[in-house]
Amino acid sequence: MKTVKMLSVTEENGMQTPLKFQLKNEDGGRITVKVDNVIFRNEEKLAGNKMLVYRCQSQINGVLKVFELKYEVSTCKWYLYKM
Amino acid sequence: MNHRIIFHIDVNSAFLSWNAVYALQHGAKVDLRELPSIVGGNQATRHGIVLAKSIPAKKYGIQTGEPVVSAKKKCPNLIVTPPDYLLYMRCSEAMLEILREYSDKVQVFSIDECFMDMTCMRRLLGGDYYKIATEIKDRIKNELGFTVSIGISTNKLLAKMASDLKKPDAVVTLFPEEIKEKMWPLPVRDLYMCGEATEKKLNSMGIYTIGDLAQTEPRYLIYKLKSWGQMLYSFAHGIENSEVNPNGSIPYIKGIGNSCTISFDVEDYETAHKVLLSLVETVGMRLRRGNFCCRLVQVSIKTNKLISYSHQKKLEVPTDCTNAIYEEACRLFDSSWKGEPIRHLGVRVSDLCGNDFIQLSLFDKNWEKQRLIDRAVDEIRMKYGSHSVFRAGFLHSRLAPLQGGIVEDFPVMSSIL
Repeated sequence: MKTVKMLSVTEENGMQTPLKFQLKNEDGGRITVKVDNVIFRNEEKLAGNKMLVYRCQSQINGVLKVFELKYEVSTCKWYLYKM
Repeated sequence: MNHRIIFHIDVNSAFLSWNAVYALQHGAKVDLRELPSIVGGNQATRHGIVLAKSIPAKKYGIQTGEPVVSAKKKCPNLIVTPPDYLLYMRCSEAMLEILREYSDKVQVFSIDECFMDMTCMRRLLGGDYYKIATEIKDRIKNELGFTVSIGISTNKLLAKMASDLKKPDAVVTLFPEEIKEKMWPLPVRDLYMCGEATEKKLNSMGIYTIGDLAQTEPRYLIYKLKSWGQMLYSFAHGIENSEVNPNGSIPYIKGIGNSCTISFDVEDYETAHKVLLSLVETVGMRLRRGNFCCRLVQVSIKTNKLISYSHQKKLEVPTDCTNAIYEEACRLFDSSWKGEPIRHLGVRVSDLCGNDFIQLSLFDKNWEKQRLIDRAVDEIRMKYGSHSVFRAGFLHSRLAPLQGGIVEDFPVMSSIL
């Protein structure tokens, strides 16, 4: 699980939607991924730690990939959880 | 059905489970609970002992409280993770939030254990307690990611004994009619409040199981163990009737003690007195939170050669005042310390009594003002954290102003909550 730099939009009712994120690759460069579609969103409270979970899909290098992004409420950090 | 229904909820391998769930939530590939792993203190500050262990670690004979070094010898592949008290507090609070949806009477017994009075829920929930307990257990597992054991009975003692019967992830009943079958065959050490010293005494009297204890003539137990014997006899029969008190306080405790291993060897009186003060601060707070006064103060010393000795003194007037206990602890220390480098110091108070009426002495100091200060300091610490006020003497010293059972930013917790 890696922390990512995120661009998201927050509605008036507080609902957040991830739009696009950047993650660092091994050689220190950054890869930008546009979130094409949020398939579903969920909230988890494992170990009492609230996280918002987004299952998303995007075209990456011509391949459609499904992945999970997580937003940790206590630290305001975004994570790329599964890809 | 006029009897009460009490649940006891106990988190399985609490510290380790909580570390494991947090790691999984943050993308860990392995579950610490399924590997030989422990939560261990920091070896650099000489706090390197096993605080919690996984079930696979238990199979290597690793025990809670033993040094991390010796645990690693038993299992070279052992995974050691550091404790995270803020995480533990958050886990405990999240669990309490779920429990409070089922009952307004929830008593926090320690960070990973609590009691619930479900009597009032009888009509509302239809009386099928096993089903309700299973629902609570499953909700905690699914929502928070860790497992608990729930004991169900008619009082706190039996509920606590029940939750110990099966681990992990279980619901067990121990109603009075089941005592003979489920509780009596257990070794006497498994009985609540029977520690190592009591076990030895009971064994020497030919009492090995809880059943043996229950069938012993109570007068003989009282003769041998005084009031403690009477209490153990009642417990062996499952007799206990304290209320589930959401504000805490367990009435049957013998003493309150704190000790700490110091990160360097102490070789002078001034530093040793400071360490004693930091311990007395927390002992005093716990004493007052339980509404007790003590009549006996004990100081224990462990040298850098790991030789231990202790001294104790009976007080003329029972007290709950930090300064009064501190003065006595210093006197005891000064009269017993032989000058060797000290690794570990402990302060314990016992011979407890209630703090509502105190027999005053004509010849003793008047501690009334000090008691008011203690009360004010306790309130500030409860509200703003344990390190919000401390004595100026600890400024620029290498010592923590409060020690033993207290962690920075960790609200005051004790076994008597």
